[in-house]
Amino acid sequence: MYGAFPLIVGTLLVTLGAMIVAIPLSIGSAIFISEIATPKMKAAIKPAIELLAGIPSVVYGFFGLIVLTTWLRISFNQPSGESWLAGSLLLGIMAIPTITSVAEDAISSVPREFKEGSFALGATRWQTISKVIVPSALSGITAGIILGIGRAIGETMAVMMVCGNPTYGLIPTSITNVFAPIKTLTATLGIEMGEVAAGSNHYHALFGVALLLLIITLAVNIIATVILNRLKEKQRSPSKKKTRLSVSIKQQIRKTLVFTIIILCVVILLSSMGILLTVCIGLVVGAVYYLRKKVSAKTGQRIAFIAIAVAILTVIVILGVILAYIISNGAGALSWEFLSQGSSNLGRSGGIYPAIIGTLYLVSGAIAIALPLGVGAAIYLIEYTREGRLTKIIRAGADLLNGTPSIVFGLFGFAFFVLYLRMGFSLLAGQITIAFMILPTIIRTTEEALKSVPQSLREGSLALGATKWQTIKKVVLPPAAPGILTGAILGIGRAAGETAPIMFTAVVFSSFIPHSFVEPVNALPFHLYILATSIPNSARNQAGTALVLLLLVIGIYLVAVLLRNHYQKTMKW
Amino acid sequence: MANKVVIKTEQLNLWYGEKQVLYDISMEMLSNKITALIGPSGCGKSTLIRCFNRMNDVIPTCRITGHVFFDDNDIYGPDADAVEVRKKIGMVFQKPNPFPKSIYENVAYGPRVSGVNNKDSLDEIVEKSLRDAALWDEVKDRLFESAMGLSGGQQQRLCIARSLSIEPEVILMDEPCSALDPIATAKIEDLMTELKKRYTVIIVTHNMQQAARVSDYAAYMYLGKLIEFGETEQMFEDPHEELTEKYITGRFG
Repeated sequence: MYGAFPLIVGTLLVTLGAMIVAIPLSIGSAIFISEIATPKMKAAIKPAIELLAGIPSVVYGFFGLIVLTTWLRISFNQPSGESWLAGSLLLGIMAIPTITSVAEDAISSVPREFKEGSFALGATRWQTISKVIVPSALSGITAGIILGIGRAIGETMAVMMVCGNPTYGLIPTSITNVFAPIKTLTATLGIEMGEVAAGSNHYHALFGVALLLLIITLAVNIIATVILNRLKEKQRSPSKKKTRLSVSIKQQIRKTLVFTIIILCVVILLSSMGILLTVCIGLVVGAVYYLRKKVSAKTGQRIAFIAIAVAILTVIVILGVILAYIISNGAGALSWEFLSQGSSNLGRSGGIYPAIIGTLYLVSGAIAIALPLGVGAAIYLIEYTREGRLTKIIRAGADLLNGTPSIVFGLFGFAFFVLYLRMGFSLLAGQITIAFMILPTIIRTTEEALKSVPQSLREGSLALGATKWQTIKKVVLPPAAPGILTGAILGIGRAAGETAPIMFTAVVFSSFIPHSFVEPVNALPFHLYILATSIPNSARNQAGTALVLLLLVIGIYLVAVLLRNHYQKTMKW
Repeated sequence: MANKVVIKTEQLNLWYGEKQVLYDISMEMLSNKITALIGPSGCGKSTLIRCFNRMNDVIPTCRITGHVFFDDNDIYGPDADAVEVRKKIGMVFQKPNPFPKSIYENVAYGPRVSGVNNKDSLDEIVEKSLRDAALWDEVKDRLFESAMGLSGGQQQRLCIARSLSIEPEVILMDEPCSALDPIATAKIEDLMTELKKRYTVIIVTHNMQQAARVSDYAAYMYLGKLIEFGETEQMFEDPHEELTEKYITGRFG
């Protein structure tokens, strides 16, 4: 009755497609930002890409539903654009900022000595990049890709909005046809959880799906964490054993890559435009392989740099188009009335004041719960415990929660707070659920901030006879405060944009403003989701809501980025 | 054998951003000799040596006026190509910087980027370069292990082997022994004397004894200016300039 196999296949196919889109573009962009861009370009592009990582998924989904699927339907003459391809393209775009940021960090942290050593031997810039820098940064780049995969697998709202979600996940049509609708694990939860009778077989099956999703994302995130940790250790102590290990990891990665490419070829071969595509890809690969030995180092560099420029331009254009579309369409709807009045006619007219207030209530409640808990936990971990098994377990737990899909938090909140604790759909249930979701971010950023305070400061204070708590309060926390604040702001940004965790715990589509913690609320992302998917003829207010949400979240992230940059400039130990 | 002028600088000035680091440096370096650049920290000797193979190009704010001639060609001229220059003028850095690859791959990297892909030629180049750098006997049984597992002195000799692999005419050494212990230092110094039979060697060092031991010519720099340049023996026994005398007798710096 409730076999999850088609859903697993759906999730894997959509993710696979997303990675085909995202990996080349992200790595090209990362190389451009860290190795080719002038300092000024880098200063502009890097924070821009980081900001894009903060765009709420429901805004991406809105763009995908309105623009991308329509474009696909018309250009390829399909009955509907809601398809595997649409999901993959959209998820690919969403994964680009994540992969680019992590890969860029990895490439930038390759020691300058390697680069100089290579230049001194008469290598060109491209030879240096392709043969020394990228191989040295490979584990970091891989970790970035895996995090991107994790993000794609866990994404709910965007997938729900553009993949078509057929009632029966028909695997055969999906595998051979990129235009077929497809259903993922997350979308199943997002759609069916709202309609299911609590306690029924269907209800339990959905929790099975959630468990499956949790296991998959846990596995993905564990792999990323292990790779990143190994990278850190390697940078600290380049001992024999570990380097040899990393060599074998590289071979492993190479094998996996070859394997993936073979699978890809088979999948593409089977798909609707298979033969044509396969021939094209074959030609490109053949040409690259043939030309590699023939062209001079300089021509090779020119070709490679053109490819990289194309990658970064594509990323900038795609993201520019998304922003331009939302801003140009949303600006018309913006007015004082839109911001200050309730909605009418099912949100087709009137404003979004209740949704704005609801989002502010949810976010402030969540941060009020998560900040003291998270900062307390981090202080305990860093200042009061010895590094050992316990801290490792807590830290690993926080990391894993960090990668858990938000829909899983939503499901947990629904089952535990709404049903078991009988809170019902309420502001409080939503606040606690979001607080749980942002807790790991706050713990980790606070930990990093505390760790960056030099040990000598603590020793200096203790040597003057201060107690441990006095030292923490007066010496450690003040310089760590900007870092902690940055973490809190990132948490707020994430909380404001998420839909999945509140969908089953707190929100109703209404113009209702709650007067107590036990009443339900409306929220901006949810309002946008319902308008875009269920209310026809509401285009104007959809775009307006998307713009307000986008400005709110980007504004929050901008504050965090500026704060961090300021902090990095002024605090030098 | 007559020694010709291999590298010549004329009125070389260099700025990092607004700050001028080198002032009007004019000097000539002879083939098959070891020229040492000495002077207190921050005097510009490392910056100067990095001008000879255009390594300062890597630093975005760097600006240069004047000329550096290599075999009578201006390496900062309009037709000059930094990549080609670096194939002729090798460099060994202060901190050993082997790539995180195998010993073999480290040495084969230079020939590979210059277009040598034949396995037999590569094998030959790797062995010859390692022998010339007096490292072959120590690593011949573990050529395919990571270079990161070598000791500091071995890593530095690997870097020397790596720079020999593309058969340059000049080898620049930027404080090559500053990260090494005395035994490893002695090995590198012996190697330098061996290398000058076939190459021109220019070395930056802050170790006065090392300059006296290995170099034929010495240049004393102070605050970005070339104070005195001449034969090492003469400079250490009877310096012309008072500043030089103060420095080499240890009364300052």
